[in-house]
Amino acid sequence: MKLNIEGLLVYFPYDYIYPEQYSYMLELKRTLDAKGHGVLEMPSGTGKTISLLSLIIAYQRAFPLEVTKLIYCSRTVPEIEKVIEELRKLMEFYSKETGESNNFLALALSSRKNLCIHPEVSSLRFGKEVDGKCHSLTASYIRAQRHSNPNLPVCRFYEEFDAVGRQVPLPPGVYNLDDLKDFGRRKGWCPYYLARYSILHANIVVYSYHYLLDPKIADLVSKELAKKSVVVFDEAHNIDNVCIDSMSVNITRRTLDRCQNNVDTLQNTIHKIKETDAAKLREEYRRLVEGLKEANVARETDIYLANPVLPDEILQEAVPGTIRTAEHFVGFLRRFLEYLKSRLRVQHVVQESAPQFLKDIFDKVCIDRKPLRFCAERLQSLLRTLEIADIADFSAVTLISNFATLVSTYSQGFTIIIEPFEDRTPTIANPVLHFSCMDPSIAIKPVFQRFQSVIITSGTLSPLDIYPRILDFRPVTMASFTMTLARTCLCPLIVGRGNDQVALSSKFETREDFAVIRNYGNLLLEMSAIVPDGIVAFFTSYVYMENIVASWYEQGILENIQRNKLIFIETQDAAETSMALEKYQEACENGRGAILLSVARGKVSEGIDFVHHFGRAVIMFGVPYVYTQSRILKARLEYLRDQFQIRENDFLTFDAMRHAAQCVGRAIRGKTDYGLMIFADKRYARADKRGKLPRWIQEHINDGSLNLTVDEAVQLAKHFLRQMAQPFRQEDQLGLSLLTLEQLQSEEMLQKITQIAHQT
Amino acid sequence: MASLSEEVLLVVKKVRQRKQDGTLYLMAERIAWGPEGKDRFTVSHLYADIRCQKISPDGKAKVQLQLVLHTGESTTFHFANESSALKDREAAKELLQQLLPKFKKKANKELEEKNRMLQEDPVLFQLYKDLVVSQVISAEEFWANRLGGVNNTDPTLFNNKQEVGISGAFLADIRPQTDGCNGLRYNLTADIIESIFRTYPAVKQKYSENVPHNLTEKEFWTRFFQSHYFHRDRINTGTQDIFSECAKQDEKGLKSLVVQGVKNPLVDLLSLEDKTLDEGYGVSTTQPSTSNANRTVKESSNYAIIKRFNHHSAMVLAAGSRKGETPADQASETSSTDGNSRDSDFFQPPVKKVKLQEAIEYEDLQRENRPKTVALNLKKSDRYAHGPVPLQSQQYTTSQDIINSVNYIRHEMANYKPNLTQVVSSTAASSAIVALSPGGVLMQAGAQQAINQMVPSEVQGELKHLYVAAGELLRHFWSCFPVNTPFLEEKVIKMKSNLERFQMTKLCPFQDKIQRQYLSTNVSLQVSFSLVCVLSVVKNGVR
Repeated sequence: MKLNIEGLLVYFPYDYIYPEQYSYMLELKRTLDAKGHGVLEMPSGTGKTISLLSLIIAYQRAFPLEVTKLIYCSRTVPEIEKVIEELRKLMEFYSKETGESNNFLALALSSRKNLCIHPEVSSLRFGKEVDGKCHSLTASYIRAQRHSNPNLPVCRFYEEFDAVGRQVPLPPGVYNLDDLKDFGRRKGWCPYYLARYSILHANIVVYSYHYLLDPKIADLVSKELAKKSVVVFDEAHNIDNVCIDSMSVNITRRTLDRCQNNVDTLQNTIHKIKETDAAKLREEYRRLVEGLKEANVARETDIYLANPVLPDEILQEAVPGTIRTAEHFVGFLRRFLEYLKSRLRVQHVVQESAPQFLKDIFDKVCIDRKPLRFCAERLQSLLRTLEIADIADFSAVTLISNFATLVSTYSQGFTIIIEPFEDRTPTIANPVLHFSCMDPSIAIKPVFQRFQSVIITSGTLSPLDIYPRILDFRPVTMASFTMTLARTCLCPLIVGRGNDQVALSSKFETREDFAVIRNYGNLLLEMSAIVPDGIVAFFTSYVYMENIVASWYEQGILENIQRNKLIFIETQDAAETSMALEKYQEACENGRGAILLSVARGKVSEGIDFVHHFGRAVIMFGVPYVYTQSRILKARLEYLRDQFQIRENDFLTFDAMRHAAQCVGRAIRGKTDYGLMIFADKRYARADKRGKLPRWIQEHINDGSLNLTVDEAVQLAKHFLRQMAQPFRQEDQLGLSLLTLEQLQSEEMLQKITQIAHQT
Repeated sequence: MASLSEEVLLVVKKVRQRKQDGTLYLMAERIAWGPEGKDRFTVSHLYADIRCQKISPDGKAKVQLQLVLHTGESTTFHFANESSALKDREAAKELLQQLLPKFKKKANKELEEKNRMLQEDPVLFQLYKDLVVSQVISAEEFWANRLGGVNNTDPTLFNNKQEVGISGAFLADIRPQTDGCNGLRYNLTADIIESIFRTYPAVKQKYSENVPHNLTEKEFWTRFFQSHYFHRDRINTGTQDIFSECAKQDEKGLKSLVVQGVKNPLVDLLSLEDKTLDEGYGVSTTQPSTSNANRTVKESSNYAIIKRFNHHSAMVLAAGSRKGETPADQASETSSTDGNSRDSDFFQPPVKKVKLQEAIEYEDLQRENRPKTVALNLKKSDRYAHGPVPLQSQQYTTSQDIINSVNYIRHEMANYKPNLTQVVSSTAASSAIVALSPGGVLMQAGAQQAINQMVPSEVQGELKHLYVAAGELLRHFWSCFPVNTPFLEEKVIKMKSNLERFQMTKLCPFQDKIQRQYLSTNVSLQVSFSLVCVLSVVKNGVR
C-alpha cells in the first residue's frame, strides 16, 4: 500500500498495516525532519524493521540531497541477513508499483569469514584464521614481493578485483552475503573487498555494530561514509556494553609471555633486515621524521593495526624521536613489557586511574606519556616495514601497544584494576590487568557527532530516558509504542510463592535454599504438563543453573519433567549448545515437546528467537542481576554515579530488567504468536522492578497476577492457553490491530494512533 | 485338536482351572490346559490372543496366573503343586514373558488396523455387525478379503504406520526399590529394555557381545545399573566396567554431531556473532574456566549431568526418527566427508533462504493470495465413493429437435380428424379408464413411488443393510469361481451354506415382518425375492 506520512509518500510492501507501524513511521519522519537523534522502543514482532526501511527509503527518494545513505547496524549475522531480505521485498514492491527498476544499491557487509570465496582460506573455521590467511595473501608488501618472486601464493580473487573490480561499480540491486559471494564467483572478484569498496557509494549498508563503534575497525571500514547518513542501531538495548567492550583491554601473564616472544622475533627480524636491506629501515625512519601519515601508504588490505583510539584523538604530529628507529622502539617495548610484568607481580588488588598509572610508569621506568601515545602507530609502521605476513602471531604485542596508546590518550572514563587471582580461586595465582572503559559515551560520541540522524531502537529500551544519559546525547524524539492486540496474546505472570507459601526468589540469601529450588522445580514440572510444545527457562547465571539442575536431578524432579517433555540445557560450549538448540527445535517440531534450560545474558537469550511453537512459555527464574561483586562493575557504578548522577541501584535494576525483558520477549514474535511470560521471583512484583519493564509487557500485568502461587499460575496459564488455542483469523484483527488503507485514513483511527506512541 | 507337529515347550502338572485339576502346556504358538485323565484340551489360547498375564502377589496363599485376552475374557490357572507351586508359576511366567511380546506386535498391528477400518467406515461396520456378530460368516473370513484388499490397493497406507517413539522418561520409570536387605531391585520390562536398546545402540552392541557367552542376562543388567554409564553423575572409578567403552563411544558420537554442526543457520551460535573481539579486548566477565583441571569435583559432576541430559534427549529424539532419516543422513555424510567446505557451501543457501524467508514473514499483513476454497463437506459419503457414472454415448435431443417435434405434434393435432367408425368398444374403453385412474393397474408406477413415504425409514434402512450384506456374501461367493482348487470348492460350498443361512436367519424373518405389516406393498420386497432367485441359481451352479 501507499501511505501518506505527513506529506511523504511511503511505499509499504504489505496489504495491511499495524497501527503502531504507522505511528512509528510518524515519529521517525519527525526525527529525520529535525535532523536529530531518536530513541524508539517498539515491541518485537510488530514489523519494526520494515517500517524503518520503508520510511527511510521513501525519505531518501524524496530528499536525495538531505539523506544520502542509510547505515543499518544490527547485532548478529542472521539479523543482518534478515534485514537485507526485508529490503529485497521492499525493493521488489517498489519496482512493481512504479514500473521502473530503481537504481538503489543495498548490500550487507560482514567479516571475511562470511564472505571469502578463496577455496583454501574460506575452509578455515575461525574468523581470526581467515583474516590472518587473507592478510598473508593480499597485504600490500606481499603483493609487492611477488613482483620479484612470482612463485609466491596469490589470491586470484583479490588480484582480479584489484585489476578490474574498482572501475566497474556494483550494479544496483540488493545484495545479501550469499548474493555477494555468487557475484564474486561469477566475476572472479573478491566479495569482501568488493563489498568494502562498494559501501562507499551504496545507498544502504547493513553491517554489525562493530564496524561503526569499534575504533580499530571503524577507522578502516567506515571512515569515509558520508555525513548525511542516517544511522540505525537495531536491537540496541545492549549498545552501551558494545561500546565499552570495544575500548577495554585485559592483560594476563600469558599475554605478556607471548608478547615477549613477539618482541624477540621483532628484534631478530630487524637484525636480519639490517644486514640485507638497511635502506628499508632508513626509509622508514625518514618517513617518520617527516611525519608522513600512514594513511598515505596504507592499503585497504593492511588490516589489523588500526589505531585503537577514536579518530579525533589521534595526534597529527610526527612520531617522537625516542622511538623513531626500529631498535629504539623495540627497546622501548621491552621496557614497557618489563614494567607490566612487575605490575602483575602484586599480591593484592590494585585499582588506579590512567593518570596515576602514567605517573607510576614515569617514576619507575622513565617512560613518557607522548611516546606511549604513538605506540600503536609506531608498531603498525614497523610491522609493515618488516613485511611480516603472519600478523595474527603478533596479536599480543599489538594488544600491548594498543593498551599503551589508550591509557595515555584518555585520562577520564577508564580505570585500571590489577587482580592477583580470581575471586573464586584465591589460591591459584592468575594475575590480570583490566584496563576497562566505564563510559560508553566515549566510543559512540563520534557517531553522534558525525552523522546527522542516529536512531536507537529495540523491542526493549525501557526506561527510555536512561539511554540518552549513559550515552550522553540529546535525542529529539523519544517514544515507546504499545502493541495493539485483537486478543491478549501475551500473558505475563509473576509467581512469587510456592504452593507451600515459600517466597520464591533468586536473591543471594536464599539462593541455596532447598525449598526455593524445589518450588522452582515444581513450577517447571507443572508447566511442562500443561504447556504445548516448547518451553524456554532462563536462569540468572550459569553457575546458578548448574546448581539447580544438579539438585533437581537429585530430587528426581527432572525425571518427572522428562515424562512430559525432553530436556535440553545450554552449555558454555557454543557448538554443543547449537546442537542442543537444533534438537530442541526438532522436538518441538515433531510434537514431542521440549524444554530448554538457558541463561540470561547468554548467547541464546541474545540471539535466538523462539517463534510460535518453539516457545509457548518462557520462565524467568530469578532476577538476572549482573554479578555485583566484580570490581570492574563497582568502578563503573561509581563512575555513573559521579558523572551522570545515576544511582547504583537504579542502574543495576535497569540492567537486570532489560535482560529479563529480552529473555521473555524472545517468545513473542508477532501478533499471531502467543506465549506465557512467567517471572518467577517475588521481587518482580515491586513497582521499581515492574516499572522498568517495557510498556507493552507492563500494561498486561494486572494486579491479580502480581504475587501468584504455582497453582494459581497454572490455573491462569491453563485458561490462557485454552483461549489462545482457538482459531485466530485475519478478520479478527482487522480494524483493531490490523488496518487496511481506508481504515487507516479514517479520522477516528488517526486519533487512536496518536495514543500509541508514548512520549517521554 | 492337538496337532502332532506342535512343539511343547513346557509342561506343568497339577494346575487347577475352574476347580479342576489338570496339566498346563505351553506350546510354540499357544497355551493350553487339559483336565487330568483326558487327552484333549478344554482351554486353548493362541499367544497372539493374549493381551497380558497377571500373577498373584507373592504373599498370597494361592499361587495363580491369570491370562487376559484381547476380547476381555480372562482365564485363571491355579498352581496347586504344594512343593513347587511358586517355582512352576515362575517358570510359566518367564516363558510367557518371552513368548508374548513376539506375538503381541503382530496381533496388535492387525487389531489396530481392523479397528481403524471399522471406525472409519460405517458401512463396513454395519456389514461386520450383520455378518460376523450374527455369526453368518466368521471374522476371519470377513477380514480375509478386506485386509488383503487393503494391502493390494493401498500398500503405502499400510506401510506408513507411524512408529511409536520412546518415552523420554523411560529410565526414570525404572524405580529402584529396596528389597529390605541393603540391596536394590530394578524392575525391567521388555518395553524398557527395548527402549534402552533403541536409544543407546552402544548398550545393545555390548549386550549382543556379552550375553549369553560371558554374562547372564541378569548379570548384564546388574552391571548396567551399577555402571558409571547409568549414574553419569558419579565419577568413574572401576576400570573393568564394560560400559566405560559405551560412554566413550557416546562421547565420540556427540562430538561428531557437534563437529558436523547444525543445518539451520539461524540457530548456529558459532556464526551468530559477526566480529568477535580479539582475545584480550573487552570487559572480561568472570572468565569461564573451561579447562577440566580448574573444575572442582562438584562442578565436573554437574557438568556431566548437563551433558548427559542433552545427550539423552538427543538420543531419544534420534531413536524416534531414525528409520525415516537414514537416507538423508547418508546424503549428508557423503557431502561432509568430502572434507571440503565448498560443497556444504553450495548446499547451504536453500535451507538458509527458506529459514530467512520464514523469519521475515508476516502472514497477517499479507492478503491471502491463494483462491478461496470451500471445504469439502460430504453429507453422503457413499455417493461420493461410488463416483460419477461413466459417460455413455447417448442420443441427446437438441432444443431445435424439441421445437420441431412440438411443432409437428401441434400440426398433427390441428389436422386431427376423429374416425368415429373405428373406435374401441365401450367395455374396453371403461376398463382402460379404470386402469388409468388412481389405484388402477397402470397407475401402479405412481403408487410405487409413494412407497418411499409409506415405509418407515428404519425398515428402509434395514432393507438397505440386508441388501449390502447380501451383496457382500455374493461377492465372497462369486470370488470362488472358477472353482479350480479343492480349497475353493470347499469355500464355495461353505459360502452356499452361508447364503442359505443368511436367507433363513435374516431375509425370511424380514420378509415375514414386512408381509405382516405391509400386505399391500409386495413390491418393496422385490429385492429379497430376487435374492431367493439368485440363491436357486447358485444352488444349480454348484451342483
